[in-house]
Amino acid sequence: MTTSFLLAEGSNAALITFMIYTLAVFGIAALSNQLLKSKSFMSEYFLGSRGLGVWAFALTFAATSSSGGSFTGFPAKIYTHGWVLALWIGSYMVVPICTMGLIGKRLNQVARASGAITIPDVLRDRFNSARFGLLTVVLIVFFMSFNLVAQFKAGALILKVLLNDVEIFKSFSLSVAEWTSGVGFFGSDSQYLVCLLFFGVAVIAYTTYGGFHAVVWTDVMQGVVMVVGVLILLPLALNAVGGLDRATQEMSKMTPPMRGYGIVQLDDSSSGTAQLDKEDWLKMTDGDSTRVFRVAASKTIEAGTKTVYGVELLEITTPSEIERILAGETPSEFLDGATVSRFSDPGARYGKATITAAHDLSLEPYQPLVYSLDGSTQGYYPVSNVSLKQGVAQTISIELPPDQIDSSKKGTSDLSVSSVSTKSVKYASGADTPGVYVSGPGPSATDSVGFLSLSVAISFFFMWAISGSGQPSNMVRLMAFKDAMTLRRAIFTVALYYTCIYVPLVFIFCCARVLVPGMEAEPDRIMPEIAVYLTSGIGAAWLGGLLIAAPFAAVMSTVDSFLLMISSAMVRDIYQRNINPDASEGTIKKLSYLCTLIVGSAAMIVAVNPPDFLQDIIVYVGSGLAACFLAPVVFLLYWPRSNVQGSTIGMLAGFSAHFSMYVTGAFVNDSFFRPYRLMDFDPIIIGLFVSFTVTYLATLATPAPPQELVRKYFYRKVES
Amino acid sequence: MEPSSNSSSEEFELDPVFLNSRREACVIFAVWFVCMIWAVPVSYMMGYGREIVPGNVPTVFGMPTWIFWGIVCPWLVADVITTWLCFKFIKNDDLGVAPEELAEAGGNETATGEAAAKEGV
Repeated sequence: MTTSFLLAEGSNAALITFMIYTLAVFGIAALSNQLLKSKSFMSEYFLGSRGLGVWAFALTFAATSSSGGSFTGFPAKIYTHGWVLALWIGSYMVVPICTMGLIGKRLNQVARASGAITIPDVLRDRFNSARFGLLTVVLIVFFMSFNLVAQFKAGALILKVLLNDVEIFKSFSLSVAEWTSGVGFFGSDSQYLVCLLFFGVAVIAYTTYGGFHAVVWTDVMQGVVMVVGVLILLPLALNAVGGLDRATQEMSKMTPPMRGYGIVQLDDSSSGTAQLDKEDWLKMTDGDSTRVFRVAASKTIEAGTKTVYGVELLEITTPSEIERILAGETPSEFLDGATVSRFSDPGARYGKATITAAHDLSLEPYQPLVYSLDGSTQGYYPVSNVSLKQGVAQTISIELPPDQIDSSKKGTSDLSVSSVSTKSVKYASGADTPGVYVSGPGPSATDSVGFLSLSVAISFFFMWAISGSGQPSNMVRLMAFKDAMTLRRAIFTVALYYTCIYVPLVFIFCCARVLVPGMEAEPDRIMPEIAVYLTSGIGAAWLGGLLIAAPFAAVMSTVDSFLLMISSAMVRDIYQRNINPDASEGTIKKLSYLCTLIVGSAAMIVAVNPPDFLQDIIVYVGSGLAACFLAPVVFLLYWPRSNVQGSTIGMLAGFSAHFSMYVTGAFVNDSFFRPYRLMDFDPIIIGLFVSFTVTYLATLATPAPPQELVRKYFYRKVES
Repeated sequence: MEPSSNSSSEEFELDPVFLNSRREACVIFAVWFVCMIWAVPVSYMMGYGREIVPGNVPTVFGMPTWIFWGIVCPWLVADVITTWLCFKFIKNDDLGVAPEELAEAGGNETATGEAAAKEGV
């Protein structure tokens, strides 16, 4: 039974699971809509009538916080960097008590006292300031809109990974590619387009129709799927690898792979166009030894070709791993009739260059060339044939050799290079060093100080536990629980839930590193890969389907919450509270449905051509929201002296400090999403520090708040 | 700013929910801080920059020693503390009633009353 067959079997199961799951979601939305008819529409649609019980509250909080990253990005990181991820996620030991306990009870009380339904409502009413309320609406809509597009993209990508090998999906995608060909807006990836459409329509429909309760109940279902999936995977993974100790000892022998360009030699030239698929396995015989490679990016083979240039490859470097792969102990099947004849020098760099020719020109593979850019001169090779048209800029794959090339080589004066982006073939940290996967700071392909330096480890302790308290999507859930007893039991439930999710995930994907080698080419696929690999061993493909649907469930639960937050900000905070306070319930109802539908559809349309830097956008938005909201909310809840001036200045200062780290990064590191790290700390630390300090000082420097507001929120009448 | 002093004929005192919540928040923040100064330094001292003998890594329950003492152990302790906070420390305060809950309760009472009148109860 081959890996591809297993994946196809698992993916069909995933498709069936997905369809059952979608039907269940629509059933939940219909039930939720019934509730809307019997209660105050606004409070029910956006806040579930403040009546969430323990399970609903605990699981909606846990599922929304977890997001798709827990089941795609996090496993991929464990696989790529090893045991150090336990420290990276370590602060989840206190995330439930911090994110729910620090402000939960008090926020719920203040929201009830003011009748607030949204977070801007709370801020506006606490200070009795419409301007402050509007400022918070603007910030929420600004951040959440970015995030919504990014999450739509994440959802579509996860679905694409899940359905990758389903035949009906492939053929439908091909049909869509034909329908949309010639329309530039739809791009060239029809599979992504189909997944975006499925994902978007499902989420928009059930969120619009069912409102907050639909979101919460689907979160509960998704939360159960996630924890059951993890708890089933754990014993299967431990059993397959021969125990956790064996996994650790095997990992201690591992060294990071190398990545670069190679030449693949075919035994026979293909009669038609063929393809080297991503993750195909290849060998190279080098004297007495055999080197093992995995294709890192699909490559089309033209008809009649026997030599394929410029194939992006990943070389396995751990001797014990190579032995196991060659002995067939891992799910690795080598491609027949193809071998690697050349691979990048370990000291080289590889990447892309944008070049323009002074006249029509053809470049041969590995023809030595020289460019001058930003004051530096460097030799480079194109790694495959390139045909250039006069004056037309073209991006090509290049390799920079470790040694300087003779600049007198011909052809270089006919080319100008406008940009170059390269990475080392070897990992920047941890290359050739056994033990990096079982110790800190963990290997890193790009960062020479390793994956998790001490300051970054501290930053992440702030990031998850403290900045998690400052997320409006979490705060709005804290306004929805029924009573203090519900909060207490829910914190306990979420603490157990996270212990059952995150610690086992680290164990499972450390085992996965040993069981399924070479996944660095596409680490985001490790969850479906390991789920199918483990469940096929016990003849339960349906279980694999359920497990690989878990990340889809996770990202869905995040998107629906953000969607509802943006529409509530528009309908409640802008329209009802500023434009038409006397709007009838019927008008509000229609507007809420319409707004959720429009916001969701707009995000889906933008996500057809989404920005790159998906994970970076999510990190920027999460930390930015915390820098803006946490300090004002903490002060307004716990400090009677806090006032609207101090909170406004502190909020803007937090936003500016955090934003300026990113802007500085754009100049210093050449990318907005590689922020400047002051004293090596993440921008979230700087943003929170500035926000808390400025809010405190500005509050003291401005007049005290009106006595009636302080009395309303901090005092009660003495009962005689 | 002394709202607790007499204002007309009414007297006010600090809301016990506010006082309890603030006290609980301080303790929770302290728990976070203790967990951080346990997990990060212990992990750093035991797990960073150490000489590793491939295939002979010291482990506890199969995981590297520094992961057990630096992460798993404080995680279990944090769970115990969280349980204590939830069931012993955090007060079961009355969080009040929102205006729309009052209105709904009033509406329901009225509706119940009307229904009862129609049925002649």
